[in-house]
Amino acid sequence: MTYYLTTLGVYAGVDIIACLALNLQFGVSGIVNFSFIVFQAAGAYTAAVLALPPDSQNGGFQHYVFGAQLPFPIPWIAAAVVGGVLSVPVGLVVLRHLRVDYQAIAMLVLSVIANLVITNARPFLNGAAGLSLVPQPLSDRFNAYSPTYLWAYVAVTFVCCALVFFVSQRIVKSPYGRTLRAMREHELAVTALGKNPVVLKMTIFVVGGVIAGLSGAILVGFITIWAPSTWLYPETLILFAAVIVGGRGNNWGALFGAALVPVGFEEATRYLPQFGPPGLVPALQWVAIGLLIIGFLWFRPKGVLPEKPGRFAAATPVVGARLTKEPGVS
Amino acid sequence: MSPSALEPTAGSAPATGTGLGVAPQPMMTVRNVERHFEGMRAVDGVSIDILPGRITGLIGPNGAGKSTLLAVLAGTLPASGGTVTFDGTDITEWPAWRRARHGMIRTFQLPSEFAELTVLENLLVAAPNHRGESLRGALLGRRYWIADERREVARARELLARFSLSAKESEYAGSLSGGQKRLIEIMRALMLQPRLLLLDEPMSGVHPSIIGEIARYLEGLRDGGLTILIVEHELHMIERLCNPVIVMAQGKVIGQGSMIELRRQREIVDAYLVG
Ligand SMILES: Nc1ncnc2c1ncn2[C@@H]1O[C@H](COP(=O)(O)OP(=O)(O)OP(=O)(O)O)[C@@H](O)[C@H]1O
Ligand SMILES: [Mg+2]
Repeated sequence: MTYYLTTLGVYAGVDIIACLALNLQFGVSGIVNFSFIVFQAAGAYTAAVLALPPDSQNGGFQHYVFGAQLPFPIPWIAAAVVGGVLSVPVGLVVLRHLRVDYQAIAMLVLSVIANLVITNARPFLNGAAGLSLVPQPLSDRFNAYSPTYLWAYVAVTFVCCALVFFVSQRIVKSPYGRTLRAMREHELAVTALGKNPVVLKMTIFVVGGVIAGLSGAILVGFITIWAPSTWLYPETLILFAAVIVGGRGNNWGALFGAALVPVGFEEATRYLPQFGPPGLVPALQWVAIGLLIIGFLWFRPKGVLPEKPGRFAAATPVVGARLTKEPGVS
Repeated sequence: MSPSALEPTAGSAPATGTGLGVAPQPMMTVRNVERHFEGMRAVDGVSIDILPGRITGLIGPNGAGKSTLLAVLAGTLPASGGTVTFDGTDITEWPAWRRARHGMIRTFQLPSEFAELTVLENLLVAAPNHRGESLRGALLGRRYWIADERREVARARELLARFSLSAKESEYAGSLSGGQKRLIEIMRALMLQPRLLLLDEPMSGVHPSIIGEIARYLEGLRDGGLTILIVEHELHMIERLCNPVIVMAQGKVIGQGSMIELRRQREIVDAYLVG
């Protein structure tokens, strides 16, 4: 039971972090990043190979690069860095010249290709079988299977959630976030007002990549396995569904959507009795995700918790009087 | 009425209006500029000078290439040929955002409001040199940029009051009427304190009383030294505000001068100034 609850907690935290990142990219800035899960995977693989011992040490049953066996915070930090660094070439190629609809297609294709490449390039990250026996953080000092450790892991996950939420709020409520929203609404007009759209898109794309990389590290440190089957492109669609249902552009919405769609939805359907031919229930899950996205875009496009406009203290009629309250997005 | 705090910062001399004596150095020179759309020459070898401190009119029939020329000058469309210089610098290859930062600001013929931002936010987006507008500034937090924000909010409200839109400041720009969206567009441009303002039909769909307000305001800005290029079909306004006026047809400039001079030219009257 402890194991089940803590697993649920870590998954919830990771999904919240991922949804916050996707909200910055897609909800706030309008970047349709259909390859989001690739950046989470990059973080997970990075953290895994930096924590694992050299692959010769475990009987050679899996093959991978590095095997650096680095102590705890380093693999996580490196995962975030790799998520950000990987965003640079992807962003420069996809976001600079392509039209938005082609950007979405390019991202989707990238996600599929990246998965195929990793699956088939076995010596790199152990191919389709993936990596297993990834050491948990600090498992050399603590018993990684004790309830205390598991709950502490959940706590650390939620601290990371809080940190990411804090950063996301600072961005969304700032003039920078306002300019990103304006770019989402009308890119050419923003350009004509002297804003460089490449800089705007690249900065937020890299921020999203850093957060995605971190989310991957948190997840792999807990589940101790990572394989191409854990980051197929439909995983990104679930996150999109969460952001759309929760409310594009609203961090609280991303949080709510993450709790509702990836966590609540998948958990709820897990206990459905098996019926029909094998594979029917998972297939129906996808149908439901699709219906959820279409239904919300149709009936409630702004989501459960819509984006809030900036609120500013009322202008005081007295000339020269100071504003009574600080202006800002509420 | 002087536009007080909204005055452009550039200290160029006001228009002399006489046209005698030493001709002023043009602010923008356009030479043989072309813009093709799959072989169609929307702008076909245009050469004009835009003189500082004046309101230059650009008129011509539908499809003459006025908006395309304006876009090429503002950099929102690249030129297919020719050169554009600004203050003596060749800016032909500059992207639009870089031109905007040097004071060349355009508005759009079609509504380009940020629909899901409020009216006030629409204006604030345009604020130049805001400390909170970089990722770094955002991460440093509100205390780092709040002074800039207060200053820009005050400036934006001053503009909103001038164009009688104060009551709408908290509404989504997407919910405004067509004429109100025009005003947003103009106010957004003015937030940047431009040196050269390129306006594409700023008065279409705007109520006559507000048109008068816009005209008075533009005259005030001109007298403060701002240079303006305005595309407009409303010839009374062109006559009142603009000197010189440039006439385009089928991608080419077919005449320029004061409105009085243009009315004397047979072929221009035939092409455009019917009646
Ligand atoms: N993006 C585009 N792609 C293809 N053709 C275009 C494009 N933009 C403009 N054109 C063509 O270029 C020509 C000039 O268009 P432009 O919009 O510059 O005219 P205009 O003088 O502004 O007309 P109006 O007074 O109706 O606004 C038109 O024939 C138009 O069809
Ligand atoms: Mg036009």
